[in-house]
Amino acid sequence: MALTVDIEKKLNGFRLKSAFEAGDETLAILGASGCGKSLTLKCIAGVEKPDRGYIELDGRVLFDSKRDIDLPARKRGVGYLFQDYALVPNMTVEENIGCGISRDRDKEAEIREKIDAFYLEGLEKKYPSQLSGGQKQRVAIARMLASRPNMIMLDEPFSALDSFLKWQLEQEILSLQERFRGSILFVSHNRDEVYRLCDRVVVMEDGATQEVLGKREMFADPKTLSATLLSGCKNISAAKKTGEHSLFAKDWNTSLETTARVPDDLAYVGFRAHFFEVAEKAGANTVECEVTRVVEDMFSIIVMARAAGSLETNARAYLRWELGKEQWARLNEPKKLLLRMPAHQLILMK
Amino acid sequence: MDFSPLWLSLRVALLATLITFCLGLLAARLVAGMRRAKGLVDGLFTLPLVLPPTVVGFFLLVIFGKNGFIGQMLAQIGAPVVFTWQGAVIASMVVSFPLMYRTARGAFEQMDQNLLAAGRTLGMSEWRLFYKVMLPNSIPSIMAGTVLAFARALGEFGATIMLAGNIPGKTQTVSVAIYTAVQAGNWDLAYEWMGIIVSISFVTIVLMNAWGRYGTRYRRETEKEWH
Amino acid sequence: MMKKSILITVALLLVFTLAACSAPQAVEETAQTADAVTSEPAVTESPSAEKVQLTIAAAASLTDVTAEIAEAYKAAAPDVELTFTYASSGNLQTQIEEGAPVDIFMSAAQKQMNALEDEKLLADGTRSDLLENKVVLIVPADSALDITGFEDLATDKVSTVALGDPASVPAGQYAEEVLTSLQILDKVKEKANYGSDVRQVLTWVESGNVDCGVVYATDAATSDTVKVICEAPEGSVKAIVYPVAVLEQSANKEAAMQFIDFMKTDEIAAIFEKYGFKIA
Repeated sequence: MALTVDIEKKLNGFRLKSAFEAGDETLAILGASGCGKSLTLKCIAGVEKPDRGYIELDGRVLFDSKRDIDLPARKRGVGYLFQDYALVPNMTVEENIGCGISRDRDKEAEIREKIDAFYLEGLEKKYPSQLSGGQKQRVAIARMLASRPNMIMLDEPFSALDSFLKWQLEQEILSLQERFRGSILFVSHNRDEVYRLCDRVVVMEDGATQEVLGKREMFADPKTLSATLLSGCKNISAAKKTGEHSLFAKDWNTSLETTARVPDDLAYVGFRAHFFEVAEKAGANTVECEVTRVVEDMFSIIVMARAAGSLETNARAYLRWELGKEQWARLNEPKKLLLRMPAHQLILMK
Repeated sequence: MDFSPLWLSLRVALLATLITFCLGLLAARLVAGMRRAKGLVDGLFTLPLVLPPTVVGFFLLVIFGKNGFIGQMLAQIGAPVVFTWQGAVIASMVVSFPLMYRTARGAFEQMDQNLLAAGRTLGMSEWRLFYKVMLPNSIPSIMAGTVLAFARALGEFGATIMLAGNIPGKTQTVSVAIYTAVQAGNWDLAYEWMGIIVSISFVTIVLMNAWGRYGTRYRRETEKEWH
Repeated sequence: MMKKSILITVALLLVFTLAACSAPQAVEETAQTADAVTSEPAVTESPSAEKVQLTIAAAASLTDVTAEIAEAYKAAAPDVELTFTYASSGNLQTQIEEGAPVDIFMSAAQKQMNALEDEKLLADGTRSDLLENKVVLIVPADSALDITGFEDLATDKVSTVALGDPASVPAGQYAEEVLTSLQILDKVKEKANYGSDVRQVLTWVESGNVDCGVVYATDAATSDTVKVICEAPEGSVKAIVYPVAVLEQSANKEAAMQFIDFMKTDEIAAIFEKYGFKIA
């Protein structure tokens, strides 16, 4: 069950360059809005045509610009779940699910099977405008599966949803992953969903894909600035190498020591909000900060602090620390903090 | 009063609208999906709208007349159209075609492209997509286009008189009858015909709008709104 | 993409359905052309053995008078069926040039007949002058303007004049001739409203939208909301003659000539005069 993608496309001044491979797994394409994630999916589905390149699925060539092969979308066997589900408004639930079933199959039986599997009993004759958000989700997934795709693609499925629907959809997708044998491509800009639902991640920035990494690997060592930002790391500072295991973080006005070897072309250093420790006394990797704002989240506290000596006008100078409410209460609302950044948690970027 | 122009007008306008309806939709689908030469084909299809009807009539006469290409073919099978009611249908069809075509094309191109993309990934053929997704979701525009086409066909005069002539009882439609009445200074008759044609148009448009509402009933949130 | 074959098939189907609809009628209804006669003489003779079909293309101004004449001819020649088609002389000329099935052409001016003669579309020796019309100056029936003749059109008494478009309307051409002979054409052109046919000119004058206009005597005769000031002065315009001829393509030249002769009898002359025409 392998997918190989290597395509290029120019569109209104935007250059797409997507290259990656996926096996029998859930692969996430993580990137900011407008970076080309949806366009990549559309090219794989056959809805858009790349200028150049090669797409292969399960040994079948879907697109090859060199040999002038361009399979029409309906022959590719690629299931696509759109952000807004794209249910046909003038068809009932039954008819929508039946869209993907060809005439030589037992249409009625298969539709019935899908209705049962997705708890849609009683809704068969309803139109999309009469369904709730959750019901629409299930119809869209049922319809997609009814067409027996070889591969499934989910285009930012959580974007327009409230948290309860998001949770519902996540459960649907988790059970989908159990049922479906084949590659699942999952496009998102949200690192939490990606982390929960996927096996591997490929980061996309400005139309270009980067290396495919396992998710833990990616979150631990994102390697590029964009990947780091996408992975949700909120503390980033411009940095300069000062030694094999030492660097100077300009925005934080601090010297730091690292466990990993510092590359010569180091440009940034990052540190995750959850990993700060409270230091008893100044020492290696400690930063003196002034607390500027404390924000109460549902289950945690977010503390914004500015490192001593850094510029007030520089947004990157502010460190973000996330910790539990009890822990913060124990500190007794300090105005000044001495924080430590453990060397092995530092993220080095070029 | 001789009512033959009325029956003739209805026959001609309805048949012309029916043909324009089919051809207009197909042409709109064709052009909406084109990439190259789109502007050229579009210009060709819109041409009858831009030209004065008499000029359109002249071109039709050249093509369908005894000296024309199609005219000679038709003469071979014993079916000339000059000075016949079929000629009136052709004239009406040609002038009303651009209205149907453009309205339908606008609707197809403004459709939610994701719907079509979804259909394609599900394996639907282009024909099924056209028939089951594009058409039902463009009903308001299609209705508007049909009403426009019918109105144009009913009121068509310049091209009709060129190709079908003005033969009372055979090719004298209501519009041509009004013209003839005016020419003869017979204003009473002209006003009577105008009254008739306005009533017909009104009734037709109301019926078409009602049909349009019925066609989009699935959009109403609750069943109550279907009435 | 779209199955273009379906598109073409449907289009062709419709075209041929249309053609098929007309096939059974074509033989009986339309005038027989030379081609039809040579290919299927037997078929065309039996259904119409009783009636000879004549199609007459007549200028629009002859609409009412020809209707009456057709009635009269039913008694005179019951085996002949007359079919009239009316339009402007220019349109009729074009239709005939493009092979429209016409037997007789009754034009409102020599120009169109001359064109057809040059193109050798007329049957030899069948052309003759049938009627004469006059060009008159008219004003709205309730006009208070002090206009007595064509010369007044150049004065300040008149601010707007309705004329037929000389490029396409014979009445407009005649009006220009009158004005040219009186040497006031340029002055009047500045005040002229050009109509696309003579009926339009008449309507403008009837409704008072213009001070005056130039139309045929026959047009003025049909309206009771205009008054005729005068006819065009002697010699200012050449005679307005309505020629008539049989077309070379006609398959019923004899019957056509008989009808033309019928129109020249005294009995019919009276009908023409009733509508304001003079016999040529």
